[in-house]
Amino acid sequence: MTTQLTSAPPTAEAPRKARRRPEDSYAAHGTRPGFLWALPATLFFTLFAIAPLIMVAVLSFMSWDGLGSPEFVGTDNWKRILDDPVMIRSIWLTLLLTALGVVLQTPLSIVIGVWAAGHQRNRAVLSAIYFIPLLLSATAVSVLWRALLDPNFGIPARMTWLFGDGNLFGEQASAIGVLAFVSTWQYTPFHTLIYQGAARAIPPVLYQAAEIDGAGRFRQFFHITLPQLRNSIVTSMILMIVGGLTTFETVLILTQGGPGTDTTISAYYMYQKAFKGFDFGAGSAIALCLVIAATVVSLIVVRVSGYDKMRSDMEGVS
Amino acid sequence: MTMRTRMPRLVAGGATLALAASLAACGSGSGGSSNDGKIHVLVYGDSANKVEKQIVDTFNKTSKVKAVLDTIPGADYQQKLQTIISTPQAPDIFFNWGGGSIKPFVKAGLLMPLDDFVKKDPNLDDKFLPTVYNSAVVDGKPYGIPMRGTQPVLLFSNKDVLAKAGVKQPQTWDQLLDAVRKLKDAGVTPIALGGGDQWPTLMWFEYLYDRVAGPGLFQKALGGDKDAWASADSKKALGMIKELVDAGAFGKNYDSVKYTNGSSPALVAQGKAGFELMGSWYYSQQQTDAKDFAAKGLGYAAFPTVPGGKGDPSNVVGNTNNFYSVLKKTKHPEAVAEFLKLMYSDEFVKAQLSIGNLPTTTTTSQFVDQSASPEYSRFQYDLVAKAKSFQLSWDQAYPQTASTPMHQAVQQFLNGQLDEDGFIKAMQALPNE
Repeated sequence: MTTQLTSAPPTAEAPRKARRRPEDSYAAHGTRPGFLWALPATLFFTLFAIAPLIMVAVLSFMSWDGLGSPEFVGTDNWKRILDDPVMIRSIWLTLLLTALGVVLQTPLSIVIGVWAAGHQRNRAVLSAIYFIPLLLSATAVSVLWRALLDPNFGIPARMTWLFGDGNLFGEQASAIGVLAFVSTWQYTPFHTLIYQGAARAIPPVLYQAAEIDGAGRFRQFFHITLPQLRNSIVTSMILMIVGGLTTFETVLILTQGGPGTDTTISAYYMYQKAFKGFDFGAGSAIALCLVIAATVVSLIVVRVSGYDKMRSDMEGVS
Repeated sequence: MTMRTRMPRLVAGGATLALAASLAACGSGSGGSSNDGKIHVLVYGDSANKVEKQIVDTFNKTSKVKAVLDTIPGADYQQKLQTIISTPQAPDIFFNWGGGSIKPFVKAGLLMPLDDFVKKDPNLDDKFLPTVYNSAVVDGKPYGIPMRGTQPVLLFSNKDVLAKAGVKQPQTWDQLLDAVRKLKDAGVTPIALGGGDQWPTLMWFEYLYDRVAGPGLFQKALGGDKDAWASADSKKALGMIKELVDAGAFGKNYDSVKYTNGSSPALVAQGKAGFELMGSWYYSQQQTDAKDFAAKGLGYAAFPTVPGGKGDPSNVVGNTNNFYSVLKKTKHPEAVAEFLKLMYSDEFVKAQLSIGNLPTTTTTSQFVDQSASPEYSRFQYDLVAKAKSFQLSWDQAYPQTASTPMHQAVQQFLNGQLDEDGFIKAMQALPNE
């Protein structure tokens, strides 16, 4: 996610660079850039992503409690976690929370992002305030909301007409609601930023043309802005989905998977198995499931949305 | 244990790293190498470290082999210990909670039984309260020397709230139920419970099982006799817990309340609740959070008796103490033995008392009046010294692997997600090895 944040704002230089086609530079030098250029990134990625991933895969076929040497147990861990009702439920819970995140955050961040891309008065100030959650760590946000939602000393105690006895963390539906709400509160600004940038990049001529054709604000939004944001929507959704599948600290701090196992999502279950139960075999199997699930879902989104074709759709699209 | 090649270990290590990295967990182990000619003492990093530091300094004044104090801060202690204990970075001596926290290490053959030390210096057994000392005995051999303070679980109360509702500190179960009714009528939550943390809920189970069935039932279950959970006594204790919940003792939103964020102690301190069952650290917690209340309004007492119960009314539950255990592969066993002897020294007892800990040596009694809160320390010491049995908290008596499912089971029984049979099955499924 950080790579998204650090991508530089468009500078005056950017358009000039874009106009020069990559093939030209190859032609000038006569050769393609050597493999050497890719080496640092490749090494880094292999060392910190591929190698541990392979090790996790190997460990998922072993039994290890952190003491002594791991022991090969074949598919034992896999059989165990696939028969485990808590594991099966954790997958559904993960999907539910991810879906809730996408459904809540996407419309909100599009609306706010498009608004923030405009030139209204006070917009900069309001946007700056609105982006504050983005600067807070997920841990701080979770601790904050845990305190704010305390049934005796927090908001629920003052708003009993809405919260009743305030047992938000004591029932499954409300606990899931809190998790979805806190994630939304925290991550919407990030996605808003994506949409703000994308909306700014829409050529104004499109709106001018639409205005001449007599399209109102709503028609402009649905017929120009939304279609033009398509690639950004896909990007943002992939980030939401992958982020949702690997959500961890929100659950750790807000609900600890409770009440009972009612909010034990897969990533948290992996932590419980591996680091509280010292069952690193089962923990690795769950981790691998998550990796596979996140990859498959991302691929589906990319394929279905046509994101992989990467056509420019800035101008001349209906 | 079939594969002893280097490769799987490397793989496993890497995968641990991968898991850790994927959780963005960070931090570095501070355990030193034991090849530097020193003994490394690894302890849980918190404010009590100043005493441990002082004892290490005292030791270093006379010993040829020097000791080094390493700390692992925060709640990750057990996790990090587990990952370094079988590596060359393992310490010589380490802090633990006795019972289930060291049992897996004993089974893996990593720890040194201390019976040889005790043979050479019987004080290493005799100078400690036996009920406490026993919780670090595994398979009949001692593996730990008590090294901090005891933390029995007590029934704390807000004296003003009790007085206003016309309630006296309950001595028996029926008086407690009566108090619950009166406090409820007075419009306060009778008993504050940090159910969101789950382990405070467990304390009610620990005491009621002990009072109803005696410490034997739990010992049987821990030993592998799963039928103990289905016994009549077990069901009676569960029935009493249900009775308490149904009487509205904990209010309705206890699962949203936490002890760890200061919410349940605040309920008691601000007069919104009458009682709270908690470890003895509650006293200093209230002194920090609500100074006036701690000085004037905070009451404390032993858990009520249960008429007709098989457990001795003097029994207590809680954290018996923390312990120092010794790695089998230490290169300086003599120096380690000398270091452990300091744990019954007068200097140690005084230093622990000065920071509010209550050491469990037989000599504590003569120094207890020098403690920061003499009356409270005296009460606790007498309670623990007279107890026929001191049951180590269940989640520490069982191996770590059992703690998550155990915590879930007690929470689910209390809030009705599990019925009696469901709870019994969940407890029977706990791993006890």
